Amino acid sequence: MQPKRLLLPLSVLLFPVLASAQLRHSVSGTVRDQRSGETLIGASIFLLGQPNSGVLSNAYGFYSVSAIAGNYKLLVSFTGYTSDTLEISLSRNFELPVNLVPEESQLQEVVVTADKNNNVSRPLTGVQKLSTSEMKYLPVLFGEKDILKTIQLLPGVQSGGDGNSGFYVRGGSIDQNLILLDEAAVYNPSHLLGFFSTFNSDAIKDVTLYKGAIPAEYGGRLSSVLDVKMNDGNDKEYHASGGIGLISSRLNVEGPIEKDNGSFIVSARRTYADLFLKLSKDSNTNRSSLYFYDINAKANYKLGKKDRIFLSGYFGNDHLGLGNTFGIQYGNTTATLRWNHIFNSRLFSNSSLIYSKYNYDISITSGNNDIGINSYIQDYHFKEDMTFYAGSAGKVNFGLDLIDHNTSPGVISASQNSSFNALSLQEKHALENAAYISHDVSLSDRININYGLRANLFTTLGPGNFYTYDAAGNTIDTASYRSGRAVKNYFNLEPRFSMSYKLTGSSSVKLAYVRTTQNLHLLSNSTSANPTDIWIPSSNNVKPETADQVSAGYYRNFRENKYEFSAEVYYRDMQNQIDYKDGAELRANENVESQLIFGTGRAYGLELFVKKKIGKFNGWISYTLSRTERQFSGVNRGSWFPANQDRTHNLSVVGIYKINKKWTLSADFVYYSGNAVTWPSGKYEVNGQVAFLYQDRNAYRMPSYNRLDFSATLQGKKTRRFDSNWNFSIYNLYGRENPYSITFQQDPGDPSKTQAIQYALFRWVPSITYNFKF
Amino acid sequence: MKPFAYTCLLLAFLLFACKKTVILPLNAVPPQIVIQGEVTDRPGPYSVNINQTINFYADNIFPPVPGAVVRLSDNLGNTDSLTETSPGVYTTHTLQGARGNTYTLSVSVNNKQYNATSVMPEPVMLDSVGFESITAFGQRRISAITYFQDPAGTQNYYQFKEYINGELFTKDAFVFDDRLSDGKYISNTLRMDSSYLNPGDQIKVSMYCIDKNVYNYLFQLQQSSGGGAFNTTASPADPESNISGGAYGYFSAHTEQSKNVVVY
Repeated sequence: MQPKRLLLPLSVLLFPVLASAQLRHSVSGTVRDQRSGETLIGASIFLLGQPNSGVLSNAYGFYSVSAIAGNYKLLVSFTGYTSDTLEISLSRNFELPVNLVPEESQLQEVVVTADKNNNVSRPLTGVQKLSTSEMKYLPVLFGEKDILKTIQLLPGVQSGGDGNSGFYVRGGSIDQNLILLDEAAVYNPSHLLGFFSTFNSDAIKDVTLYKGAIPAEYGGRLSSVLDVKMNDGNDKEYHASGGIGLISSRLNVEGPIEKDNGSFIVSARRTYADLFLKLSKDSNTNRSSLYFYDINAKANYKLGKKDRIFLSGYFGNDHLGLGNTFGIQYGNTTATLRWNHIFNSRLFSNSSLIYSKYNYDISITSGNNDIGINSYIQDYHFKEDMTFYAGSAGKVNFGLDLIDHNTSPGVISASQNSSFNALSLQEKHALENAAYISHDVSLSDRININYGLRANLFTTLGPGNFYTYDAAGNTIDTASYRSGRAVKNYFNLEPRFSMSYKLTGSSSVKLAYVRTTQNLHLLSNSTSANPTDIWIPSSNNVKPETADQVSAGYYRNFRENKYEFSAEVYYRDMQNQIDYKDGAELRANENVESQLIFGTGRAYGLELFVKKKIGKFNGWISYTLSRTERQFSGVNRGSWFPANQDRTHNLSVVGIYKINKKWTLSADFVYYSGNAVTWPSGKYEVNGQVAFLYQDRNAYRMPSYNRLDFSATLQGKKTRRFDSNWNFSIYNLYGRENPYSITFQQDPGDPSKTQAIQYALFRWVPSITYNFKF
Repeated sequence: MKPFAYTCLLLAFLLFACKKTVILPLNAVPPQIVIQGEVTDRPGPYSVNINQTINFYADNIFPPVPGAVVRLSDNLGNTDSLTETSPGVYTTHTLQGARGNTYTLSVSVNNKQYNATSVMPEPVMLDSVGFESITAFGQRRISAITYFQDPAGTQNYYQFKEYINGELFTKDAFVFDDRLSDGKYISNTLRMDSSYLNPGDQIKVSMYCIDKNVYNYLFQLQQSSGGGAFNTTASPADPESNISGGAYGYFSAHTEQSKNVVVY
């Protein structure tokens, strides 16, 4: 080990001048697509013959490499683009923008956004990248490309159910994933009860999922980070693209604000599944609504050579209604204003002001009752990220995260003559502040490490009443706090460490340890994603959830990096996990915290992944063997029991075959064993009805699930001005009735019996989509 | 959130849901004691039923438990030893239920002792019964609405039952609490998922004022009673009984108000 290098972050922080005082010079700039001007994230840049000089371009395409004075060849590569070699003479610090030309060959369609063997050499374990072009040919439900469903085909990621965009990572719950859209947290990442995700793939440039070694710049959730970055827009010419499908359509417009200096992009979607309802004769059904729309917009502008600003936003809204009797609207709004500043060729900074909100509004009309219920969670967030490129001493990231959380758990408005009183549940206010630093460095030709620390302080603030409960959930004390007074502080240190050791040029082993904490908790006690589930902050009763994860893996690329293989194992220990008392009342309950119970969790597993990255035939196989358990003192006599999302086997096979210039076929196959569920074993008669007798929680298993999807894409005639394709797909090709849920009831035909009813969705769902671009 | 469940149903309908009966490998459970007893503000006799649990796939014949020693007493010192009038059914002789009193049930059977206490709340008048009709999926669905004035300043818990021609029609525990409705004039719809009223049906609607523990029991019973394809409780469990000693079932002292009406 080289302690000098490990000590470096402190010295670079305190004395940035010192570090650059060596006789080293750096070359820096932005890597872009030559045609569209779109910045390229994760392009590999290094000086030929200088083994430790390499870097990946950052989220804004920025890179910086340095070496002692001399003449070098700078090699820039990005899969799907022709690599570029630039002769440079390093005698001072200078700027060098790099424009890469997209490859026109068949490789283009299967872009893997990473350097050819970054997967082997980067120290991070459990990182998966996806580009939207990778998803282009995959068969999907309703023909709507969807990143949240595509990541469910990766190892360690489980789907929340048939057609559901909710996902579980390495034994975590759905709310333990940090889902970011241009840095803004997205609190409800789904539309239409989970059948669509909030992410319009037209608007998306880059998707990275961190499930193992989560870098120190991310925090706030326990099990994973899904970092979604929106396109910047073409800064050279105007383009429009879109798609028309059976139940949804989308349109995307982009172009320069000022050529080479700024661009904009606007993408919008609307579903019209409910048009079928209009055909119905009865007035309650044909006045029902069931649709969503969303808009992504982004603009950026260069203010000189060193500064660039970005403004991006998302707005989505779902409308579900049943005649005049019931309606719910819900959606996310996010906005991000960013300022990139290049202090010098080695110090890059980004400052962001971020706004994020999720809200829902319900209206119910029934008899005399005119009731409205609404709720929201809203964040104001300032984020500062700095990257210092210290040449062979690696790269140091440091920054601040300041978030102001406000939640309104529920406001009920009711007409004078309704059966309900108007009610406003106390708003909850909290600050989540964090500072982090991390250092990426090569200790030798073989060893790369990344280590860091995130310190986070969560403060629950007044105004409000804060209650103390006894074991039965009765309020035994109430403390009142004035506005701005701290009720409770939670300080947590989150160490992050990962390293890779290269065994050969194309294989490595990696090891990682991360600690994560979570201070916002989603309360949900139903099996499906529910738009009315509420988020509550940590408080005097609810402690931060914490997790420690150790993971290790073996990575190997074969046949000149055409094939990529990885095997990872992980173990995660979770504290302060939340569940509900039996019969918990979560609806409009001021004392909702009295309904909670707290316990621990553990998850472990093995993930195998093989991917063929290039060629006419490509795709991947992913397999996960895992176990996820929870322990609560009041459940199953305090013994460990399988969590709802515990699934032993998970297999996905994805294949894409390009037959010729016109046709591309693809298929995916999914198999998983059943989740843990609670079913009745017996029954008894009470209150004149048959009641079910339950034994242990989650002692039964749902039947296993399997499905094959198929799609064919017909490429239309491609000209310089116009490009189009038709996509035909069938979801669940062999029409298997996969159980979505199983419920129990008295047999309507024979009252002397009880029966189990299985519901299945989606048999043979065909779809046709026409996509165009001009 | 019944309307929400309807909306889910609507969505499921669009998504080509299919439904079938499946046979699951459910475990056998040794028979457990189930006790249900009640005392009301109506004239007695009152009865306590004791029977056993059975396996899920057995026919709905619940073996009665004979030979139990059953006592009912109130806080005024009155005690009644119940007589087994038919297998598993135990009936009072003299005890008269009255509002505000606390009742204690004690059952001794197979060398085990079970005890329960319930307080009979003050009665609330059931004002009237009306009807509402919703048409969805081409089907007209009529539900009864109960109207009553909730007393302000007290916690009140209600249970409803519907009978058609004397036969219990509600296959669900209909309960309502005034947590969000204190002091309001309440119109509460007895909406059912699968069976509906028809115009001309002779029905009886009963409203009970129950105590908090009984409400909690019935609320939990309702939550874990299956439900629809969507939005089912993630972890159903046996409701917490107010009977000590490990028996299933509950003991309720409640007031009772009824209306007989013809569905229109």
